Amino acid sequence: MPPLALYVHLPWCERKCPYCDFNSHALDAPVPEADYLQALSADLAAEQHHTAGRPVTSIFIGGGTPSLFSPRAIGEILEAIDGTLGMSTDVEITLEANPGSAEATRFAGYHAAGVNRLSIGVQSFNDHHLKALGRIHDGREACNAIEAARRAGFERINGDLMFGLPGQNPEQAVADIDTLLELGLYHVSHYELTLEPNTVFHARPPELPDPDTRWEMQLACRERLERAGLQRYEISAWASPGQACRHNLNYWRFGDYAAIGAGAHGKLTLPGEAGVWRYHKHRIPQRYMALAGEAARNGWRRLAAEDLRFEFMLNALRLPEGFDESLFRERTGLDPSCIRGELAALAKDGLMECLEDDIRRWRPTGRGLDLLNELQGRFLPEAA
Amino acid sequence: MKHIRNFSIIAHIDHGKSTLADRFIQLCEGLSTREMSEQVLDSMDLERERGITIKAQSVSLQYKAKDGQEYQLNFIDTPGHVDFSYEVSRSLYACEGALLVVDAAQGVEAQSVANCYTAVEQGLEVIPVLNKIDLPAADPERVKAEIEEIIGLEADETIGVSAKTGENVDQVLEQLVNQVPPPKGDPDAPLKALIIDSWFDNFVGVVSLVRVMDGSLTRGDRIKVMSTERSHGVTELGIFSPKRHAKDTLKTGEVGYVIAGIKDIDGAPVGDTLTHEKRPCAERIPGFREVKPRVFAGLFPVDSSDYEDFRDALQKLRLNDAALHYEPEVSDALGFGFRCGFLGMLHMEIVQERLEREYRINLITTAPTVVYEVLTVDGETQPVDNPSHLPAVNKIDEIREPIIEANILVPQEFVGPVITLCEEKRGQQKNMHYHGKQVQLTYELPLSEVVLDFFDRLKSVSRGFASFEYDFKRFQAANLVKLDVLINGDRVDALSTIVHRDDAFHRGKELCERMKDIIPRQMFEVAIQAAIGSHIIARSTVKALRKNVTAKCYGGDVTRKRKLLEKQKEGKRRMKSVGKVDIPQEAFLAVLQVNKD
Repeated sequence: MPPLALYVHLPWCERKCPYCDFNSHALDAPVPEADYLQALSADLAAEQHHTAGRPVTSIFIGGGTPSLFSPRAIGEILEAIDGTLGMSTDVEITLEANPGSAEATRFAGYHAAGVNRLSIGVQSFNDHHLKALGRIHDGREACNAIEAARRAGFERINGDLMFGLPGQNPEQAVADIDTLLELGLYHVSHYELTLEPNTVFHARPPELPDPDTRWEMQLACRERLERAGLQRYEISAWASPGQACRHNLNYWRFGDYAAIGAGAHGKLTLPGEAGVWRYHKHRIPQRYMALAGEAARNGWRRLAAEDLRFEFMLNALRLPEGFDESLFRERTGLDPSCIRGELAALAKDGLMECLEDDIRRWRPTGRGLDLLNELQGRFLPEAA
Repeated sequence: MKHIRNFSIIAHIDHGKSTLADRFIQLCEGLSTREMSEQVLDSMDLERERGITIKAQSVSLQYKAKDGQEYQLNFIDTPGHVDFSYEVSRSLYACEGALLVVDAAQGVEAQSVANCYTAVEQGLEVIPVLNKIDLPAADPERVKAEIEEIIGLEADETIGVSAKTGENVDQVLEQLVNQVPPPKGDPDAPLKALIIDSWFDNFVGVVSLVRVMDGSLTRGDRIKVMSTERSHGVTELGIFSPKRHAKDTLKTGEVGYVIAGIKDIDGAPVGDTLTHEKRPCAERIPGFREVKPRVFAGLFPVDSSDYEDFRDALQKLRLNDAALHYEPEVSDALGFGFRCGFLGMLHMEIVQERLEREYRINLITTAPTVVYEVLTVDGETQPVDNPSHLPAVNKIDEIREPIIEANILVPQEFVGPVITLCEEKRGQQKNMHYHGKQVQLTYELPLSEVVLDFFDRLKSVSRGFASFEYDFKRFQAANLVKLDVLINGDRVDALSTIVHRDDAFHRGKELCERMKDIIPRQMFEVAIQAAIGSHIIARSTVKALRKNVTAKCYGGDVTRKRKLLEKQKEGKRRMKSVGKVDIPQEAFLAVLQVNKD
């Protein structure tokens, strides 16, 4: 059985950002911590039926803005997890946090509650750009938040940065990275701002830098991160050795992940020949809390062979290190011969390379990573 | 017979023919107000949208005139576009009179002039009518002067009307009754009836609109179609009032419909003569000719699995459109499709739109081309309607292109740019006349230039004021070459065109530039070249795609990413892959759009 991770979704934000298409809901009252915790605990019990006794090796508490929850509540959630699914001894526990001054005061509490990795949604240190993104914090608060996290004892901190922001030039994009590095962070998630459907930005698009400038930005940032000794271990994640996020790596290596919380997506391998299953939890928080437990599970379906093949590649192709054919066989139960044709064609176009060792290892080339959508698209199941 | 008046309306698009016809129907109470939809006569959606008439239609109205007598007014609607001028001439032949409707603000336009001449030549009484006199910009005196000078009609008594408000429309009907002569014809002679138009009805087969010239036609009669020599029994006949209204007999001079179990539109061609099987008339009504397509284009389904549906759709359209020709064509680049022949560009657009709209077939159309005549070194003459079928250069003695005579009417202030345009399009000036504010220009032009973009350019250099009509003249030798387009070294047959050697360099260059903008960046560099034979005359490059990556982490939700990838894939599916290059549909029409400002 593959290793098991757990995703916990806490769906509230103080305010919805105009670019965000995640399942997040603006708060108009205090967070209903007690009710939500109760629902999560019923949800955990439901998950326990399907995890075949595996303890979780990583937990990711995402949102929304999880740092709206008190350290005590986070502590209770972690206790509930330990009491049901169980945790491995070296479990990685990440919490997503907003870099606001209010949150920073809780960081020590989260650390004490057992959280050992913090992911801070910095996005930028430039006040103009933060404003354009509709963020409620400013650059100074972001710096303070990172320093507070370090003071609170966190050794593993991720900073989320976005580039290609309205009015941004390549120098400014690199300056954001410089600031992050100066603050001593060893993990950066570096995303380009994209205008997603069902967002304010999609309806009223801001003026973005032109494609040539965005490309220049990306190259300049990449160069800066490499110069700082960070390694690109995933399409948009950079880390120094030992700092890579194990929870995310588990996604990319097509491991299992249980999911609790409104709108959380899970993927589980069931014992025996039962195959790989996907599901998600009801996404509207109030309804999720009312359903509580197994009833909140939606879209429970077994993946067909062509879906397994596609989804494995969708994830694995994001890794510059690539994947072994043996991993493909292990995670999907399929014979690797069903991907070799496409992979060989991509290799011919210089987008993939095959390392002929004892085990066959495939990895995308630099060019392949730049054209990741093309690579992934090759493995799409034929439309019915 | 002396109480019958057969008439047409000659009018330029937008000058208000249909609205006026609707007023007539209302005045004669052919339909209740409730039954009058916006415009009754233009029954196809497309016709209504574009404000043009494609199929001839008719309506028979009972009109009680001021003299106390009741008259049967038969209005025969005519197609209003140069592509359908043959159908117009047949409609006019069935009439004794015509109303020339002119927009009192815009004045006389070339298409009306041409149709008016046809009417006068055929001995029709032409009554000018000024429409839209309610418009503030109306200038009746100026337009009357134009009618006298350009067309040569007496315009003193011209009535000004507003079809929109109904003002003075009754006076037009009085003029019709008083000035248009009743039909002539011999009621006792053998039957001679003109087929004005035919269309296909799913329930009864071919319905023909006819004008009885001599004799009479009764239900049950055995009739003969003179061009095919085939005989049929008349199962139903009658008039449109404008609703279909069955009768027992159509008498001399009357206009009505005939249904005779004919299954195929070619069985009752427009312009042909109907007579009785037993007692046939001596000769056919003159002027019958087979309609020949002048413009050809390849039509290919974007999705090759639509091929069968496409063929069925063409078959169905053909049932109603004798002028539409098609035969299978195979293109290296576009796969299986059909080479289709059309009367002109409007006809092509209409067919294309109907296929996409009514039959929901997504099509790629190659640039339209005219029919060339090629004289080979063996002394053979062969028609070529597809550039990729042009014989090898060393087999060609001479290429001849179709030449038309164009008549253009343009306000004085735009004469300069119009002449410049005609010269640029290799035109030869034949005539130039000043008529008050308007100038009448006659040019001989290669049809291929007209097909290219002449009409759009003419409209743009004259701010929409110039109008034109044309007629095929002859084939004439010209220095023509085949211009090929190569994409990453592969010749794309569907992008080949035949052009004048003097234009080839310029065309090739512009084509490469346009293609560069149309073809999206791909994973590799795409080289676009224009060539004459093996000689490359222009090139451009589509740089390789630098990135295509959206890499958000959705907490394990793969569905959104999948949707995005599927959307990208669907976008690609709408393009044609030539070699490894994805080419969007509009590239195949870009050949047409060079030279545009």
